[in-house]
Amino acid sequence: MAKKIDINVHHITRVEGHGNIVLKADSGKIEKLEWQVPEAPRFFEAMVRGADYRDIQTVVSRVCGICSISHSFAAIKAIEDALGIEVSAQTAKLRKLAHYSEQMQSHTLHVGYLAAPDLLGVKSVVPLVDSRFELVQAIIKLHRIANNWSDLIAGRTTHPTTFRPGGFSRVPTKKQLADLKAVFVDCVPDLKFVAAVVLDLAAKIPDFKRETEYVALVEPGVYTFYAGNVGSTDSAITVPPQQFESVVNEYVVSQSTAKWAKWHRESYMCGALARFNLNQQYLHPLAGEVAAMFGLRGKLTNPYLNTIVQLVEIVECVEAAIELIDDLVSTGIQEEPLAPITRFGTGAGAVEAPRGILFHRYTFDGQGICQSANMSIPTNQNHANIQHDMEALLPQIIDKTEDEIRLALEMLVRAYDPCISCSTHYLDVSFV
Amino acid sequence: MIPSGTVVIGLGNPLMSDEGIGVYLVNELERRGACPGVCFEDMGTSGTRILHKIANKARAVFVDCAFMGEEPGTMRAFTPEDVASVKKLGHFSTHESDLLVMLELSRLLGECPPQITIFGIEPQSLAQGSSLSPLLAAEVESYLEEITKAVLAPA
Repeated sequence: MAKKIDINVHHITRVEGHGNIVLKADSGKIEKLEWQVPEAPRFFEAMVRGADYRDIQTVVSRVCGICSISHSFAAIKAIEDALGIEVSAQTAKLRKLAHYSEQMQSHTLHVGYLAAPDLLGVKSVVPLVDSRFELVQAIIKLHRIANNWSDLIAGRTTHPTTFRPGGFSRVPTKKQLADLKAVFVDCVPDLKFVAAVVLDLAAKIPDFKRETEYVALVEPGVYTFYAGNVGSTDSAITVPPQQFESVVNEYVVSQSTAKWAKWHRESYMCGALARFNLNQQYLHPLAGEVAAMFGLRGKLTNPYLNTIVQLVEIVECVEAAIELIDDLVSTGIQEEPLAPITRFGTGAGAVEAPRGILFHRYTFDGQGICQSANMSIPTNQNHANIQHDMEALLPQIIDKTEDEIRLALEMLVRAYDPCISCSTHYLDVSFV
Repeated sequence: MIPSGTVVIGLGNPLMSDEGIGVYLVNELERRGACPGVCFEDMGTSGTRILHKIANKARAVFVDCAFMGEEPGTMRAFTPEDVASVKKLGHFSTHESDLLVMLELSRLLGECPPQITIFGIEPQSLAQGSSLSPLLAAEVESYLEEITKAVLAPA
């Protein structure tokens, strides 16, 4: 086997942000294999220093164009923890409802626009409009439902406007919620259709397994996204969000400008697969059925299945939202004053962003001005695990062609759905 | 569905100086209320979500920070047909949220507004910070005037 392999994927496509895959091998011997993240740091933590506690969610919601609701909630929960604010049951329910909408938005985008092209052997969703029109139509319909859903509860599809420490600036009416529920019920056949199409393509998902540590929020009785302690498949002990630094243990490596993380072993995975591994017993019936269709059960160790679990979670979010709406409509919705501040200090908050567990911490002075901030984002927590997956995968596929190896490595990275940086998007054009 | 109405969409990140010019201008247009009946959207860096906001509108106007090879501060109005995206159309990344790819997808789906105008503004600074560069800040009134004229012109 006198084969030289030289792969340099500069800025892998169909992920948010910039990441590189570098592989050099000669005659089956791996000389270099690196998952590199060359993004420039963005200093959001410094930007909120000096900000009033009421303005922080507005700033941090701009960290990400995909998961701005999750960043808002991680911030607001940390602020409420620091300022001793206890929110009402209605606020907690409405936040969960908004949070589900973001999971559906982001997962539909990833499964439909970014991962489906890999399974169908094309480079983007655009050519699928011709070849798989019904599929694209269903994906667009589901994505549009999720967007309108965010608009209704969060005030805007991206970068929410209705969330406040202590409550909401505006709440939806009963009628709006009832209409939303009707939309959810109507989209169930579309969810089943997309699941069936993906099931037909499931044989193309690489069969690769590597057992690692899986980390996600856990809450008794709930497939949770919004609340709970930090759980791990490596430990029966859960950790409150206030101690998140003892979970992420961030450190610096030379191949990446993004920090890496480790907890009980050399790396861990967060995201849909981790949530499933820790909370699958709490899935709603239809989500459970979709998981069973794909044979998902017990501890999943194939990272490529992250995308399939995202599909299960889309269904879970719709079912959980229907239940929440029934609850909200039966108890009645009313405008409420913001819950009051009872102290000033330090606090932390955790939520499950679509890509995994997200932590924020803030410290305030006696006037509610932010003195320090810290965020730990899910994509950074996954970088070390991506590197270790690549190292385990490569020897299994080293005899394949360079194109096949490149695709397998790219698909692995895309399965993590990394959101390396989506803080800028400027147009770059030349006139013709 | 018969296309109707006008949507004006501001794109960009207001935490990175001139990167946020589109968002700044669209929020300002909405605040001033000079274009009744027009729908204004601060879409931030939301990429593919543009698709849903323009669906079946008669006219879509985008305001965005753009590298066009012009002097910083220059605003140009153009249509999708006037430009070729420097980004790779086939490689579709949501980070780059290539507006032109979204418009192409919208067209293929049969829901793209028949009339599209993109206002591109050449930035001076993309540094961290929530204020516009002095150069662009001084031009805000003239940008607003030109965009308002285009939005109020008969379709």
